[in-house]
Amino acid sequence: MIIVENLHKTFPTTDNHVLRGISCHITAGEKIVVVGPSGSGKSTFLRCLNLLEQPSEGKIWFDGTEITDPQTDVNHVRTRMGMVFQQFNLFNNLTVIANIMLAPVKLKIMSKSEAEANAMKLLERVDLLDKRDSYPSQLSGGQKQRIAIVRTLAMNPQVILFDEPTSSLDPEMVGEVLEVMKDLAESGMTMVVVTHEMGFAREVGTRIMFMDEGKIVEENPPSSFFGNPESVRLQEFLSKVL
Amino acid sequence: MQEWFESVAASFERAFITGDRWKIYLAGLGITVEVSFFAAILGLLIGTLLAFMKMSVGKDGRRTPWSIIANIYIDIIRGTPVVLQLLIMYFIVFTFSRNAVMIAIITFGINSGAYVAEIVRAGVLAVDKGQTEAGRSLGLSQAQTMLYIVIPQAVKNILPPMGNEFIILLKETAIVGYVGLTDLTRAANQVSSRTYEPFMPLIGAAIIYFSMIKVLTILLGKLERKLRASDNR
Ligand SMILES: Nc1ncnc2c1ncn2[C@@H]1O[C@H](COP(=O)(O)OP(=O)(O)OP(=O)(O)O)[C@@H](O)[C@H]1O
Ligand SMILES: [Mg+2]
Repeated sequence: MIIVENLHKTFPTTDNHVLRGISCHITAGEKIVVVGPSGSGKSTFLRCLNLLEQPSEGKIWFDGTEITDPQTDVNHVRTRMGMVFQQFNLFNNLTVIANIMLAPVKLKIMSKSEAEANAMKLLERVDLLDKRDSYPSQLSGGQKQRIAIVRTLAMNPQVILFDEPTSSLDPEMVGEVLEVMKDLAESGMTMVVVTHEMGFAREVGTRIMFMDEGKIVEENPPSSFFGNPESVRLQEFLSKVL
Repeated sequence: MQEWFESVAASFERAFITGDRWKIYLAGLGITVEVSFFAAILGLLIGTLLAFMKMSVGKDGRRTPWSIIANIYIDIIRGTPVVLQLLIMYFIVFTFSRNAVMIAIITFGINSGAYVAEIVRAGVLAVDKGQTEAGRSLGLSQAQTMLYIVIPQAVKNILPPMGNEFIILLKETAIVGYVGLTDLTRAANQVSSRTYEPFMPLIGAAIIYFSMIKVLTILLGKLERKLRASDNR
């Protein structure tokens, strides 16, 4: 579903060579978990996948289309590729339901009434129906993140990218968000998740990638990733986080 | 004491009543308000346009010619006195027209635009970058993201300083006498040179300006409080 070939990213402002040749293959239904030390380029990698960052070099295919081709309609690609951010990024000027309905309606994917019915169904699924008319500032972090997940789901994406979705949550709210993500995983959604939640990685991940210094150093299913790490750097990393 | 009171009343009468002089102030006030109001609207349009020109970035992340033009405009306007701008417009640029009200409106509109541009730009840039990223990540275009997400939030940042800008503009129009317009300030000056009693006309005009601005300030304060309240509802 997603093919990445020799991806490089250098930030022109700082001349910082952040991604140094990443290649990978993600097939439909996989739950990829990306882990690695801070600054290793995990966020940058994820943001290159939906072109929030422009890769400096390399190619990315999504569903058979080369999205790094300048001719590709990036906006259309993004309608099928959701993203969930560490800082939630709910639209502060809109109510919960308007947050969820905005993109499907404005992009003419659904009529207003369809979008509303769909939003209600999704809100029910995360048990937040009573918040439909609240503004983001009235919600807890966990509620915000569940709404943010629902907002991407409303577009019916084929894959969702998560960038540390639980890292800015109070500890007691991490569980409710991970629960939603587990449900999503069980429903068959293709997911790429950057996280420090090793429990989630082990339980939900189908493949775990270890990134360090802009490269994927090692990737394996959870059992061998955790049980039998090959590289010294991963062994060191695991000894710190586990 | 009685004598003093009578002399004040008499000088008040000479400044405002005799020969229907209050009409001069009123006409002057009309000019002041007309020039300020239309200049503010023009300034808002020009300033918004300039702000978006200045914020435009090319595909390679570099500044566009638009942004360079906007920068030059803002630099020149902010680097020269507005009186001089008015004189240049009246005596050099618009020599074919003697419609001083229109020329004043255009001058102050162009002038205010440079300041409004900075206000709008700051207001838009103050909206968290994550808002734009979330909009774009859902597939909304740059323009849709601006329109539905960023601008509604930026307006809240922009309104209060915009009110201040209007207050400054209202006071700055006191120089339109330079091109022959009789605004409130010049009206007061005219009366005082006729009665040889500057006190009443000048203090009177000052009180009128002050009251208008006081009312505006109070309204602005209310608006600001309302906007802030809707932030954490
Ligand atoms: N817009 C940018 N401009 C310049 N440098 C950047 C930019 N974004 C990220 N970087 C740099 O790229 C490197 C990798 O950042 P990235 O955010 O991808 O790391 P990360 O693995 O997600 O780290 P963390 O776990 O802290 O989120 C860092 O050194 C960072 O300073
Ligand atoms: Mg990161």
